[in-house]
Amino acid sequence: MAELTLDGVTKVFTEDDGNEIVAVDDVSVDIEDGEFLVLVGPSGCGKSTTLRMVAGLETVTDGEISLAGRRINESPPAERDIAMVFQSYALYPHMTVAQNMSFGLEESTELDDDEISELVDDTAAMMGIEELVDRKPADLSGGQQQRVALGRAIVRDPEAFLMDEPLSNLDAKLRATMRTELQRLQEDLGVTTIYVTHDQTEAMTMGDRIAILDDGVLQQVGTPLECYHTPNNRFVAGFIGDPSMNFFEMEVDGERLVSDRFTYPLTADQADAVGEARGVTLGIRPEDIGIDPDGNADSPHEFDMHVDVVEPRGDENTIHLTFEAGLDEPETFTATVSGLRQLQAGDSVVATFPPEAIHLFDADTEQALHNRSLDIPEATEQIV
Amino acid sequence: MRNPLTVLKRRLSEHREVRTDGGTTSAGSILDRDSVRSAPFWLPPFLLIGLFIYGAIAWNIVLSLTDFQGLGTPDYSALDFENYVVAFFGGTPSWSELTVSPIWNSAWNTVVLMVSFSVVCLALGLVLAILVDQEIRFENTFRTIYLLPMSLSFVVTAKFWLYMYNVETGLVNLFLGAVGVGPIEIVQNPDLKLAAVAFALIWQFSGYAMIVYLAGLRAIPTSHFEAARVDGASTVRMYWRVIIPQLRTATVSALVVLTVFSLKAFDFLFSMYGGYQPGPSADILATRMVREAYSNGNWAYGSAIAVILFIMALAIVTPYIYSQYKRGEL
Repeated sequence: MAELTLDGVTKVFTEDDGNEIVAVDDVSVDIEDGEFLVLVGPSGCGKSTTLRMVAGLETVTDGEISLAGRRINESPPAERDIAMVFQSYALYPHMTVAQNMSFGLEESTELDDDEISELVDDTAAMMGIEELVDRKPADLSGGQQQRVALGRAIVRDPEAFLMDEPLSNLDAKLRATMRTELQRLQEDLGVTTIYVTHDQTEAMTMGDRIAILDDGVLQQVGTPLECYHTPNNRFVAGFIGDPSMNFFEMEVDGERLVSDRFTYPLTADQADAVGEARGVTLGIRPEDIGIDPDGNADSPHEFDMHVDVVEPRGDENTIHLTFEAGLDEPETFTATVSGLRQLQAGDSVVATFPPEAIHLFDADTEQALHNRSLDIPEATEQIV
Repeated sequence: MRNPLTVLKRRLSEHREVRTDGGTTSAGSILDRDSVRSAPFWLPPFLLIGLFIYGAIAWNIVLSLTDFQGLGTPDYSALDFENYVVAFFGGTPSWSELTVSPIWNSAWNTVVLMVSFSVVCLALGLVLAILVDQEIRFENTFRTIYLLPMSLSFVVTAKFWLYMYNVETGLVNLFLGAVGVGPIEIVQNPDLKLAAVAFALIWQFSGYAMIVYLAGLRAIPTSHFEAARVDGASTVRMYWRVIIPQLRTATVSALVVLTVFSLKAFDFLFSMYGGYQPGPSADILATRMVREAYSNGNWAYGSAIAVILFIMALAIVTPYIYSQYKRGEL
């Protein structure tokens, strides 16, 4: 167990025709001993490449990776004392579960056969797979293979775990179960972990901290709630949260934001934050939008809307709203309301964009100018 | 209450037999059966193969039980296993005044050639496949170069290696001369004959083993290589413990093809030695068989050797086919 540091890590791939592709661009993260860091981003953002560099499966073009204070850039994977869980599990098909789990110990430690089989048995019992140790991977279900893959990593008692989308091959129900189990396991073992995923739900629920990557560039590192409530930029705001934050492109007009569709007055603080920016993106999360089917748009923060589509989810409804009714492909944005509320497509409603809930991003740089205010003192304390 | 219509339907269909696939077939409609209706398509090749392959094999087996020798027609009235006894123990058969030697020498050569050729081919093919699999430049070129010899016929290979092995002008002897080993007679040297034949055949077929292994290697997910590396295995250990065991299917299928090729290396020896007389140190069952039949006119005895060769080939192919069948790949 040790802290893992990425300092200015860069990966450049050179294609056959000499083109250079920057897959990971100057990424720096400090992962504390025992911390669970989730590396999240859309496909092709460089998160897997980053993980593979830490594992030693890719060379590091620039920067430094160190584990427990020791630079490991040049160490072969065998000398890094790191265990990795692959998306496809990568269980060796010709070996039994027990052989799969003992392989790493046999190759990387001096333990004798008895000690290895004891460790394997203990780990198998901990993972609840002791019944399966004599089976081949082909005879296991997806969930069981997943457990074996985790067991194979755990049995080695490494300095750090690297997990490359380990849950993405499971069905939704099992994924939710394994998510909890993995978290509990990591907490019990206290092993520094980097967990790569494209799924923002996994990122939100599992990580001590999240590192969000886009196009090889680190966008933000922070606790899930920090990333959710105080995103650094528009990308993070849109990536974290489901359904995504709504964005409206606005022009600044004094202390107001203006677009073709609506005008939104800013508070003094917000206007200060906007400063000299001309174009601003107004962001608001779906759950912050208030919906009143009977009201009138009296306040400047209230707008007349039409319900385009209602997606019931049971606990809540996602409703797609539009400013103008009757268009074939209207521009819509989403709001979530309680699942018990009866709303129909075609209804006219009044939507409130509460001023304390809005985010403002610079339209050019996409950096956050102003994030929502968090009035509740405990919540603020928790996330800061 | 039972629906009367259902009962009626059941009665009507009672005379139908239920087929194993759950459908029914009614009596008296043999002409409607799929097998009959499709006969124009499968029957002609079925009959042709049946007659010219399996029929010929059967006839050859019967022939091996006769005393057919020299000119004339075989006599099918007195069938016995005398030829097999002679093949295994030697002696003077009833159809000849001369002593006939048993087949052990050529059988031994056959086995030596088969084992050395296939094992070296596989080993070399595996090494080449692993090297070509390292994302090297010009991979396709290398692959083609290694595979090309296989496209040659045995006759061309034999003539080519005759030249290579030539005492005065052959490249092999030029090379040996360069390292200070004086010119050696290879092709006619009883000590080197079989090795020379095996070497030439290995040159021709290791490319094939490489292709089979390369396909096998490509079928192994990259994550297995990576998992083994992260698990701490060195390159050699990774291949030995994780990758090569997964090439079992590739090994078996290449092995079967290679051994069967070595059993029928007759045309290679025939071209290399210009006839049926490679001499005792390179005589394999195939040359012996042809020599007995077409040089000596011992038709029945040649047939017996052919049957033995056939059984050897079956012994190699059958377990393979059976294991494929067991795993449901057939």
